[in-house]
Amino acid sequence: MKSTQNRPIILLLILLALVASAGVCSAARDAGSGYSYGDTAGKNDDCLACHGSRQQVSAAAFIDQTQFAHTTHARIGCPSCHGAVSPRHPDGARTPRADCRECHVDINAEYAKSIHADKTPCAGCHNPHKVETPKEISGQEINQMCSGCHEGFKMTAKHSEWLPQAELHLRMLPCITCHTGSKSYFISMYIVKGKDDSRYGKQEVASYQDLQKIAGNRSIVSLIDANGDNYISLAELRLFNSDPSHKKLRLQGMMTPETASHKFEILDNRRNCTFCHASGPGAMQTSFVALPEANGTFKRVAVEKGAVLGALYGTPDFYMMGSTKSPAFNIIGLAIICCGLIMPVCHGFLRFLTRKNRKGKEHQS
Amino acid sequence: MSERKRIYLQPIPVRIWHWSNAFGIITLILTGAQIRFPESITIFPSYKSAIQVHNVAGLIVAVSFTLWFFYYKMVRNTLDKLYIPTEEDLKHGLARQLAFYCFWYFLGKPSPYHATPDSKFNPMQKSAYLAVMFVLVPLVALTGILLMNVTPLRVLILMSGGIKIIDALHFLLACSLLAFLCTHVYLATLGKTPLAYIKPMVTGWEDEPEHEEESAEEATTPGYRPVRHYPEYSGLPQEKRP
Ligand code: HEC
Ligand code: HEC
Ligand code: HEC
Ligand code: HEC
Ligand code: HEC
Ligand code: HEC
Ligand code: HEM
Repeated sequence: MKSTQNRPIILLLILLALVASAGVCSAARDAGSGYSYGDTAGKNDDCLACHGSRQQVSAAAFIDQTQFAHTTHARIGCPSCHGAVSPRHPDGARTPRADCRECHVDINAEYAKSIHADKTPCAGCHNPHKVETPKEISGQEINQMCSGCHEGFKMTAKHSEWLPQAELHLRMLPCITCHTGSKSYFISMYIVKGKDDSRYGKQEVASYQDLQKIAGNRSIVSLIDANGDNYISLAELRLFNSDPSHKKLRLQGMMTPETASHKFEILDNRRNCTFCHASGPGAMQTSFVALPEANGTFKRVAVEKGAVLGALYGTPDFYMMGSTKSPAFNIIGLAIICCGLIMPVCHGFLRFLTRKNRKGKEHQS
Repeated sequence: MSERKRIYLQPIPVRIWHWSNAFGIITLILTGAQIRFPESITIFPSYKSAIQVHNVAGLIVAVSFTLWFFYYKMVRNTLDKLYIPTEEDLKHGLARQLAFYCFWYFLGKPSPYHATPDSKFNPMQKSAYLAVMFVLVPLVALTGILLMNVTPLRVLILMSGGIKIIDALHFLLACSLLAFLCTHVYLATLGKTPLAYIKPMVTGWEDEPEHEEESAEEATTPGYRPVRHYPEYSGLPQEKRP
């Protein structure tokens, strides 16, 4: 099935095979990398001639081409989900829409068992034309999926019944960190800036446009990955944090699950603070910086191991009590405490040796 | 030997402050250790309870610190006099007191300093308490308040350079307080008997040594700093202030 050549005919054949056979489903599951679905060329152009232009169609029927082009769904193409478009389209005849279930069998099976299954279809959280993998999406966007139904203030009130600093937690964590199970977690860092460009204003995720303005004619990545090796070292983090030319920009982090299950359940071990706060340096090793891209998604750039444990200038704004303590400070702290013990230990020892000198005097008066 | 003289050294507000403060700080150190090292220290049953106790203890210390400050500053107006070392203290007093602790003490000589209600602390106490009460405790309380209110006080945290800096400061200041506590408690046992200094902090009264009569008279002259003159100190400058 796999084709590395870009010949349109072969692609078309693959496409046909995808659409026609019931094997689509298994293809979606087995395929691993989205690239096996080939290029997007030629699959969507007919439809996007109208649907990619706000002049031709209503806002609801408009499809953002840059965002769509990035999704794996674009490689499948409109016709695989909207088969049998009326020849005189648009003529009011309803165009069929594929059911996500047809292709995403496993996720659907998992989702079907969850409390949400009869509350909302997949489209309640995912716009099929803007789907993103967990790697390309920011924590804020994930939370927006939930906030449509779970209103922010109510959630803060509800969680603060047991969660200290609930507002802070809900703002600095994706809901799915607590409400889906995952084997491993990583720290997803993103650039924020003060609202309306004020330095200490409400911190908001910096948009692609914001960052491009600051980067000028360089790429956004170069703001933080100074040597352009697609890897952010601790030294580069420090440089970013101390660069006076963009004082408004800061790095925040979120502890994010590596994979998202679709059960969206209440996990009792999340009530225990040490699930996150004592996970120790091990769980804090992996981190990425998510940088916005022109197409509305995010690009992940790997960061040096253990960056969030750095003493101060690695990630001055990311701090998880109990988990991100810097070993250097622990040693300094211990040294300070030892200084406090010099007097009792040394003086106490000599005091014991010379106790005879004070004998009697203590009772003399 | 029949009638011992006593002086009222520690008024009730000071004692209330001191012991609620000591209780609070020790609780803060224990809970703080668990909060920072949850994988190795489990004193309280859960992390959450450690945090809640830590927050309450922090509040107790902050409130009792305010009590202490207002009592000395507003009610007694002796804060500056008691706590700020004089030039004389810095020039000679510190060295003399240090010499006593490191040397004369072991030979069985009494302290060159004797406490009166108006001048309770020897130069070393003065300097240590000044650092602790005017720098350590206020700063540790301030950083603690910031860490307790990350969302509402976000602007202050951003201005100070980030939450990690606040946390590092809080931790290192707390270590310094623990270091002070060890030294402080030890020195508190250096009286004639181990409990001689601690008793006044509990009852308020200190027993005067018998042969104090002559110097007690002198003590009435304004500005006099009560120092007993032993031959071994005679080489050192006289303790008279203008
Ligand atoms: C000539 C321009 C044009 C082309 C080409 C076009 N459409 Fe449309 N389409 C429209 C217009 C106009 C509407 C009316 C909906 C609106 O504007 O709200 C529409 C509506 C739709 C709808 C929603 C209404 C329905 O039919 O259920 C779907 C789905 C749709 N188009 C799919 C497609 C697909 C798939 C293709 C490509 C095979 C395509 N369209 C090509 C203009 C076009
Ligand atoms: C992965 C499958 C998939 C692909 C690929 C896909 N769509 Fe859709 N599309 C859907 C589904 C599912 C719906 C219904 C969404 C809903 O119920 O909200 C839909 C809805 C629509 C609508 C109607 C939107 C509305 O809210 O009325 C339009 C128009 C549309 N698609 C056009 C396109 C065009 C044009 C393309 C190709 C550029 C395309 N779709 C590609 C699955 C897909
Ligand atoms: C025609 C088959 C098909 C249909 C129908 C379909 N998908 Fe997909 N979808 C895919 C394939 C193939 C991938 C690539 C992921 C993979 O390799 O497993 C994908 C990927 C995704 C992704 C990950 C984002 C990405 O770009 O890889 C999401 C989210 C997603 N689909 C949601 C949906 C939703 C929601 C629906 C229903 C509205 C739906 N899909 C319908 C085939 C389909
Ligand atoms: C309550 C919201 C919600 C619903 C409903 C939902 N999803 Fe998701 N889905 C998410 C979140 C959150 C993620 C992780 C972030 C992302 O990739 O968008 C995700 C991720 C995905 C992915 C990408 C997984 C990966 O690892 O690449 C697919 C595919 C997907 N969903 C399919 C579906 C399908 C199919 C349905 C319906 C059966 C569905 N989702 C219903 C919230 C939802
Ligand atoms: C379409 C609306 C909708 C969306 C979107 C949605 N939820 Fe829900 N969710 C509900 C409803 C309705 C309930 C049931 C509430 C109840 O029974 O009180 C619920 C219940 C829950 C529960 C409680 C489950 C239990 O076992 O009691 C959790 C946890 C939850 N949602 C998490 C999420 C998360 C996380 C997201 C985002 C990824 C999300 N929800 C998105 C509607 C939604
Ligand atoms: C720190 C982990 C954590 C985070 C982050 C979190 N939750 Fe929860 N949530 C829980 C736990 C634990 C419960 C169960 C609480 C209980 O039993 O009272 C819960 C309960 C819920 C419930 C059920 C409340 C009810 O009425 O019983 C919903 C809905 C919910 N969460 C949604 C969300 C949403 C939406 C977000 C993101 C904005 C979110 N949660 C973030 C841990 C978390
Ligand atoms: C169990 C622990 C403690 C014991 C046994 C103890 C003992 C004493 C004693 C005996 C005194 C009177 C001696 C003097 O006036 O210098 C005293 C005074 C003092 N202690 Fe403590 N202390 C303890 C904890 C603390 C802590 C935790 C702090 C502050 C962080 C502290 C700060 C002070 C100060 C500032 C004074 C001078 C008080 C005044 O009279 O104004 N103590 N302490």
